[in-house]
Order: sequence, then structure tokens, then C-alpha cells
Amino acid sequence: MVAMHSDPRFDQLRRSLMRFVLPVSVGFLAWYLLYVLMSAYARDVMSTVLFGDVNVALVFGVLQFASTFGIAIMYARYADRKVDPLADDLRTELTGAAAGASAGRTGGRA
Amino acid sequence: MTTTASHALLAAEEVSSSSRTLTILVFIVMIAVTLGVTVWAGRQTKSAADFHSGGREFSGMQNGFAIGSDYMSAASFLGIAGMIALFGYDGFLYSIGFLVAWLVALLLVAELLRNSGRFTMADVLSYRMQQRPVRTAAAVSTITVSIFYLLAQMVGAGAVVALLLGIQPGETYLGMDADTAKIVGIVVVGILMTLYVTFGGMKGTTWVQIIKAGMLMGGTIVLAALVMAIYGFDFGELMSDASNASGAGQSFLEPGLRFGVEVPGDALQTMWNKLDLISLGLALVLGTAGLPHILIRFYTVPDSKAARKSVNWGIGLIGSFYLMTLILGFGAAALVGKEAITAQDAAGNTAAPQLAREVGEHFGGEFFGSVMLAVIAAVAFAAILSTVAGLVIASSSSLAHDFYNSVVRKGRASEHEEIKVARLSAFGIGAASIVLAIFAQSLNVAFLVGLAFAIAASANLPTLLLSLFWKRFNTRGAVAGIYGGLISAVGLVVFSPVFSGTEKALLPGIDIAWFPLTNPGLVSIPLGLLCAIVGTLSSGESNPRRFAELQVRALTGAGAEGAAKH
Repeated sequence: MVAMHSDPRFDQLRRSLMRFVLPVSVGFLAWYLLYVLMSAYARDVMSTVLFGDVNVALVFGVLQFASTFGIAIMYARYADRKVDPLADDLRTELTGAAAGASAGRTGGRA
Repeated sequence: MTTTASHALLAAEEVSSSSRTLTILVFIVMIAVTLGVTVWAGRQTKSAADFHSGGREFSGMQNGFAIGSDYMSAASFLGIAGMIALFGYDGFLYSIGFLVAWLVALLLVAELLRNSGRFTMADVLSYRMQQRPVRTAAAVSTITVSIFYLLAQMVGAGAVVALLLGIQPGETYLGMDADTAKIVGIVVVGILMTLYVTFGGMKGTTWVQIIKAGMLMGGTIVLAALVMAIYGFDFGELMSDASNASGAGQSFLEPGLRFGVEVPGDALQTMWNKLDLISLGLALVLGTAGLPHILIRFYTVPDSKAARKSVNWGIGLIGSFYLMTLILGFGAAALVGKEAITAQDAAGNTAAPQLAREVGEHFGGEFFGSVMLAVIAAVAFAAILSTVAGLVIASSSSLAHDFYNSVVRKGRASEHEEIKVARLSAFGIGAASIVLAIFAQSLNVAFLVGLAFAIAASANLPTLLLSLFWKRFNTRGAVAGIYGGLISAVGLVVFSPVFSGTEKALLPGIDIAWFPLTNPGLVSIPLGLLCAIVGTLSSGESNPRRFAELQVRALTGAGAEGAAKH
């Protein structure tokens, strides 16, 4: 296990995960914070009516839902294609091909 | 307007006898079914993995439903619908924080935790640290968060049960007046949650949660569809009707009626109110991924891919539920009206059941009104039961696994022993929370859920992330981070206006308030993180080998606990 940590393939696994997770986390937190800050300090903008009774605040709120759903779907697809195959390879190598996921019974106790 | 309210109350009394019988009947059926499931699950609970993690055999979809169930408590079903009904847009704003928070859990926590831990949050925190101090700290924080959350739910449960049975002050039903009914409600909920956990373990609890999530989604979809049908499926029509009926006009559709309120002529209070909104927003978005009863759900699936899938199911369910809550809240504002809602419950917690009756009567007369009320009341009751059961199992697992086995018995307890202690703990926590909730029932404890999120965000999330990603992180850092976040969050609330100094405070008689915000997150989250960093740097301890091992396990899933084989 410890030796694997300095294996270039592990490095690649970690980088491929972080390449998605880090920027997207910073992005959605900033996007959400912008929403909260505008709800507190930019009420003029938020109350601008776009059409009918629909104002910026409602559209911004619904967009938060849309971005959350969108990121969840994008991450599932990304992980499935770019992260899981690398992780599966390394796990198989570490635990032996036959044992697979159920090899954990003997795994180190926390 | 007063006549409308008294008319509504009168109508409530007229329908209440038939709808009460129906409500009680539905309650009894639901209790029987869930207890049956518990007995069945209890027979299959043999190993510690069965008790703490339901044998790790649930599918991603099943666990997604259970996650939704843990999260969509009565507080969010009744509370957010009521908040939208009374304050319009700000109720929606509240639900957005709750939803976006799931991305933190999805991207940074769920899979890594599933791969590297066994039963509790502390398994990951203590992986490369000295077991006893870290596990003790984690158990203290787990139990504090869970008990606060539990108390808020149970006190709410008492009030809600009394209201769902439609018992007005000064009136009795089955020999109970409203106050007795509240206590009976607390005791019944307390006994049921203890039974679910003690006998059914995680398996029983999870199935109870899956059933509840199905009921909740079904009930909400039907109710939301009926509301939309009244408005010819024109959401704009519903919105304008709601804002007109609210008496607040356009501002009902804008932020500012409930959070970050602008006080004319008091610039200082306006500033605190706005900072309070930001503080709440931070605690909500960062708290979810540190809630122990949510974290242990990731252990109930076979592997990290299923954990990911379950979070995505959870996001889908919770998100669509909150969007429908917007329809329910606006619907209640338009069709039931503020007067009638606050006449029943000042906080608006009965807006959704009242809406159900109103909509039912619109389509099928008095009888259908009673049926809809009974169904939504049962859904709310189920929502209370499943959330509290999740909280009890989180705290009893931590007591048994982290504190008893690792700290008291130094890891030498047998599985049989650990399960026995977990069952005893569930029993003890259940009994203690019944007593605490009865004493707290007259207090305004609504702030406790916000506090639980703030503690989770200040004490649990920073230490969890640092232990997964920071090589240098060590025992002193983890212990300082947990206690620092916990103490600063709880401490600041004690000196805040929700605890003393105002009429609505927990202890209105005294005034020790000097901290101006009602939610401590804005200060306590950075403070918790700072304590963890300073604690780490002040100690020379470092274990790069165990860190390497933890990261390899977390990322590849090698050595992860697999599903039980029966």
C-alpha cells in the first residue's frame, strides 16, 4: 500500500480526480456564495422583474438547483470514465485479481 | 381577515373528528408496518457490520432514498413549506443551502470515506492518529451534533402530533388536552425510534427510511400536482396569487422577509442581520458533509461507486422535493392564507397539512379533505420517525464503536460485545432524549438544527478533509480542530441573542448576549479550521506511512470493507 503511494499510476489517479474535484468545488462554492451575498446586499438587482412575476432572485435560485443537478451528473460521468478505470486497475493489483472488492475482511483495521 | 381565521378554526373542529379517526388509523398501520420491518431486519442482524452498516448490502438507489429520508426531516417538510408560506422567497433560499451542500459530500467526502472507514466518521479521522484521544473527540462531537438535532426533531414532533390530531387549546381528545398530547407525542416517537434502532439496527432503520422516502415523495407529488391543477398548471398564476394573498406584495417574491432583514433606522442591526444570513448560508452548505448520521449512510453500500450513486439519487430526490415544496408553500400562502396558518401554529409548521385539507375539499368535498389531511399527517409523522431513528443509530454506533470498543476496551471487544453495547446505547440515548425533549418542549429550540449544522461544519468537516488531504495533519491537530470547532460553535450560541436577552430567547429572563449573530458559522468555521492547523503545527508528530496508506485506500478502494455475505 505504502509503495503504491509513490507509483506514477497512483499519482495519475490522484491528479485525474483532483482535476475535476478541485476547480468544480471552488466554482460551485463561489457560485453559491455569490447567490447568498446578492440575497443579502444586492436586493435591487435580485428584485428586478424579468417577466410576469418572475424576478432575478427566482431565476438565480432555480439556477442553483440546475447547477447542482448538472455538476452531480457531470461528476458521475467523469468519474465513471476517467477515474474508476485507474482505481480499478490499481485495486486489482493491490488486492489480487480474484479477491476483488470483497477482499476487505482482512484489510487493516482503522 | 379575523373572521376568515375563526371560520377556518371552526371548520377545523367540524372535520376534525372524522379526519382524526382516519389520521390515527393511518398512524397505526404505518407503525405496524415499520415495526414488522424492524423485527424482520433484527433477525438478520448478526455481525457488527449488520448492526452499524446494514451489512453494506443496500443498492445505491436504496441508500439514496434513505439519504433523502434522513435529510428530509419533518423540519424540512413542514418547516420549509411553512417558511415559504409565511415569508415567501426566504424559505426557498433556505432550501437552496440544504441542497447545494450535497455537492461537498459528493465531490470531497462520500467515496473516500466509504473506501477508508468501517462504521463511523472517527474511523477515517483516527486512521493515522493516536486512537483514543481522536476517537473520544469524534464521539463527543458526533453525540453532541446528533442530540441537538434529535431534540429539535422531538420537540417539534410533540407539537406536530398534537396539531396533526387537531387538538385545540382547551379541548380534549381521548382524555388528552393539547399539552398532554404533546408529551404523548414525544414519548411515542421516542419509544418507536428506540425500538427501530435497538432491534432493527441499521438494516431496520434503513428500510424504515426507504418506506418513508417513498411516502413523502408520493404525498408531495400528489399534493403539488393538485395545487398546480387548481391554477391550471400555471406557476406564474400561483405566484401572483400567493404574493397578493400574503399581504407583502412583490417583496414576498424577493429575499429579505425572514433573513437579512433590513431594520429601518437601525443600520447596525441591519448589518448584523445580513451577516447572520451569510453565516447561516455557510453553515448550511458546509455542515451536511460533516453530519455523522449522513456520513454513516455511505457505509451501507457495497463500494464507493454505489456511494457515489446514492448521493446522486439523494440529490435528485432532495432537489425535486424542495422544488415541489415551493409549490406547497406558495399554495398554502394563496389557498390557506397567512391568518389561518398562524392561527394554527405561529411558526407555520402546519401549513402543509392545512393545505392538504384545503385542496382535498376543493376537489372532493369534506371527505376527501379529511383523507388528504390524514395522508399528509401520516407522511409528516413518518418523516419525524425516520430522521430521529437515523440520529439514534449514528450516536449509538459512535458510542459503541469509537468510545466503548476503541477507548474503553482498547479495540479488544468482540463483535457480539460491540453490538450489545450499541443496543444498550440506543436504549440509553432514546430514554435520555425523551426526558430532555419533555423538559425542552416549552422552549424555542428551532435554532438547534442550525446549531447542529454549524458544529458539523466547524468541528467535523475541516478535520475530515485535513485528515484525507493534508500529509502533516496529526493527533493534536485533529483533537484541537474538533474541540475548537465544537466549543466555539456552542459557546458563541450561548452568548447569542437566541440563548438570552430577547423575548424569543431560550432563557428570556437573563441577558448574557454579546455575540450579535444567531448562527455562529461565520466565526466558528474559520476558528475550527485554525485550531486544527495550529494544533498540527505545534506538535512534531507525523506519520507519512499511514497517510500514504490512507490515501491509497481512499482513492483506490483497496482493502475497503466489502458487503456481508449471508
